[in-house]
Amino acid sequence: MISLIGFSGLILSFIFNVIVIVSYYYKINQRFNHIFYLALYCSLFFMCLSFFALMFAYISSDFSNFNVFQNSHSSKPLLYKITGTWGNHEGSMLLWLLIMSLYNVFFSFNITLEDHVRKLTIVFQSFLYLCFSLFVILTSNPFLVNSIDSNEGLGLNPILQDPALAIHPPVLYIGYVGFSLILSLALAGLILNQLDNLWIQVIKRWAMFCWLMLTGGIALGSYWAYYELGWGGWWFWDPVENVSLMPWITGLALVHSLMITKQEQLLKRWVVFLSILCFSLSILGTFLVRSGILTSVHSFAADASRGIFILILFLTITGFSFIIFILKSPHSNKQINLLFINKTSALIINNIVMLIACITILLGTIYPIIIEVLTNKRMSVGAPYYNSTVLPILLPGFLIMSIAPMLSWQSNKLDKIKNYIYILIVTSILTLLITYLTKFNIWGFTGTILGLWIIAASLLSILHNCLKYKFKKFFIYNNALIAHMGVGIMIIGITFSSIFQTKNNFTIQTGEIVNSGQYSLQLKNLKIEEKNNFQELLGIFLLHKKNEFLTTIKSSKRYYYVSKVITTEAGIYHDWFQDFYLVLGNEKNNKWSITIYHNPLVSFIWIGVMIMIFSGMVGIFKR
Amino acid sequence: MNLHLSSNKLVLIIFNLLILLFSTIALSDEAIDDKVKKITSNLRCMTCQNQTIYDSDADFSKNIRQIVRQKLIDNQSEKEIINFLVARYGEYIVFTPQFNRRNIFLWIFPFLIFALSFVFFIFRLKKNPTKQ
Amino acid sequence: MNKIFLFVPLILVMLISIFCLVFLLQGKDPSKPPSALLYKNLPDFDIINLFDDADVISNKDLKGRIMLINFFASWCSPCKVEHPLFFEIKKKYPNILLIGIDYKDKQEEAINYLNTMGNPYDYVGMDNKGLIGLELGVFGLPETFIVNSKGIITYKHLGPLTKKIITNEFAPFIQ
Repeated sequence: MISLIGFSGLILSFIFNVIVIVSYYYKINQRFNHIFYLALYCSLFFMCLSFFALMFAYISSDFSNFNVFQNSHSSKPLLYKITGTWGNHEGSMLLWLLIMSLYNVFFSFNITLEDHVRKLTIVFQSFLYLCFSLFVILTSNPFLVNSIDSNEGLGLNPILQDPALAIHPPVLYIGYVGFSLILSLALAGLILNQLDNLWIQVIKRWAMFCWLMLTGGIALGSYWAYYELGWGGWWFWDPVENVSLMPWITGLALVHSLMITKQEQLLKRWVVFLSILCFSLSILGTFLVRSGILTSVHSFAADASRGIFILILFLTITGFSFIIFILKSPHSNKQINLLFINKTSALIINNIVMLIACITILLGTIYPIIIEVLTNKRMSVGAPYYNSTVLPILLPGFLIMSIAPMLSWQSNKLDKIKNYIYILIVTSILTLLITYLTKFNIWGFTGTILGLWIIAASLLSILHNCLKYKFKKFFIYNNALIAHMGVGIMIIGITFSSIFQTKNNFTIQTGEIVNSGQYSLQLKNLKIEEKNNFQELLGIFLLHKKNEFLTTIKSSKRYYYVSKVITTEAGIYHDWFQDFYLVLGNEKNNKWSITIYHNPLVSFIWIGVMIMIFSGMVGIFKR
Repeated sequence: MNLHLSSNKLVLIIFNLLILLFSTIALSDEAIDDKVKKITSNLRCMTCQNQTIYDSDADFSKNIRQIVRQKLIDNQSEKEIINFLVARYGEYIVFTPQFNRRNIFLWIFPFLIFALSFVFFIFRLKKNPTKQ
Repeated sequence: MNKIFLFVPLILVMLISIFCLVFLLQGKDPSKPPSALLYKNLPDFDIINLFDDADVISNKDLKGRIMLINFFASWCSPCKVEHPLFFEIKKKYPNILLIGIDYKDKQEEAINYLNTMGNPYDYVGMDNKGLIGLELGVFGLPETFIVNSKGIITYKHLGPLTKKIITNEFAPFIQ
């Protein structure tokens, strides 16, 4: 029953989107204007109905629904029943549709834009919706009825039963899918030749919002990977991670280049290109993940027919967009005001660097596919490749970003340039000191110097500004600098946590103490706990630092009854400067193997991301 | 800036000399541990999902770690060990794509467009009339 | 000149799509990498007979016949699924040499296993340390290799065999 309601909702929502598009073509009559918006709202209503029907099926453990049967279990906690709605391929695609529809309706409330541009944008968005809706209905229908009569489900992948991962998909999708609206806006602007100031103002806000959500989503995902996978790291250059990073990078370039266009009215062609590229990469990413063409820790149930369908979608949508781009792309008649070092050239360097980084990641991700098709040999392109190509390419961008917000648009001058030189010297000396105190490592050295320089120079610029503005406007005028400072903090976190990480293996008995660095760790006891849907082997450890008791750490292994999977739950002691990361291993002769990681400055990464998101939010609201 | 670079170079030179000195003597335990780490974090655990042999706890990884260690004790070089494994498990097992004719595009292309776009950028910079 | 640049993204999109499409249509499976030893000579190794420790043969002595080498173990459950199929292979293609290699297993357990399940192999070798497996790049059981009469590996299958695979994929290599 509930499946039927959900499926009808899906179909009706599809039909109403068709009505939206059709009524646009009879726009002369005022009556159709009402129908246009009415149909739009109806489509959202039925989409919500459909989505909540599925969610209800999950909450009530309605195993007559095949999707629920396959991905849920009655013993699961309520929270994971709810989030289980999008914890699988079909449900997540339904969430995708819901978000697409939401964007369309919220955008229709935006009255800044001229009426005809807004309407055409809505039409394009509806068209995109139709494409994906067709995909869901034809290949991944979540409302299939279970052919067997069952009163128990097969369970959700235990690795997904986690709070961070529960909210990770919605946040990520709000970013990912949001780029569809950016694409629609770009296409509408292109076709109507209306790439004016107003358009830029509107697209800038939406792009900023999507990009921030994507940032949050990726950060949540890597935070999850950090404590759930128990591998000690938080970014593995995994194909699925790369795939989410590509639209993020182009989104970053887009958000920045929209600033130039706002100031200089130039580079519109470039902005439109990036807008198309963002969503193209989102679809490509969806294809790579959902078709099962790549091996990854974050894999979805793979299906080749789905893959081919998304590939066709990818080809149609991006092909169509790029053809329109070729036919209608605007010509800028004014030369760009490039000076050796002004804001425009800084932003252009940023864009070039970002785009090349993105191309490199794309190349690395699909190169194995190309090679296997051509030579039938399988190869890997892994972390070392990206580290030695993407990072050096990003260097000039990082170097420039600390002073970029302070540069002027027109002239070649930087105010108080001496101060910045002093700062550079101070950071170099400081880094030199740190380098001598720790083990020398060229990456560690570069990363530290970059991070410190970005933070210091941004601080200096903020100080300069501080004298000019009162507190109220402080955040508004400095938000770019604050965001860049966040990046600097993040760079330091990344550098330290990846390069100066240490890993030690021990075997330990109950009561025994092992020493690792300044810490000493005692295994207090081990116990087995029976939970509703899993059995947990819990190791309770006492952590001391220089004979001073710090905390008890719980590190465990869980055995999930339904899916018969063992997961490791790392025990982490967060310190501002160092994470103590403990993974419980296997038993041998009554001794337990444990792995201890010291991850220095990991917290800086999350702090940096939060600062970026915060100042991005300020950026959305500022005029 | 210059000063500390050269001092770093000095440190490097001394370090290299030390390595030369020690390479004739058998590798110590710790040195072998470091090398095992270096080699195995570039190897794929074939039975896992995209995990390195260094990080993984699977049987396959333990086995390969042991083989790598044994070969290091037998004084084989990193290259020999990698080649040994690639001959058996294919290039798939190494995370760093090998620098050969097939992969040259993969390695060169990013730097090539990077260089080209910067040349282009500087070119435009010069052509641009200065407005000061 | 500028116009040409506009076409670049479109062409790239096409190229990516074509390669991905071919990859999907060829039915390649990301979890099953093709063997590195395909079309190469079978490496030399000595095999100890599972039933008789003193009986050691070298695979050099076995040249001249088509060989099917199957890695199995008593602890491997998919192996049990494919096991009966080897009797069928034996019946259908009597002139090939069926070699089973017991991979990382205890000798008694393997003998026990073959006694209960039946022994379809012409020769069963023991590889309790996984050394032969290492030579052939074995990483997940079961794995099956076909070696032609010249000693060249012509086919490799990862995972349990099925009837469909035998009739569709094996046939050209073992006739």
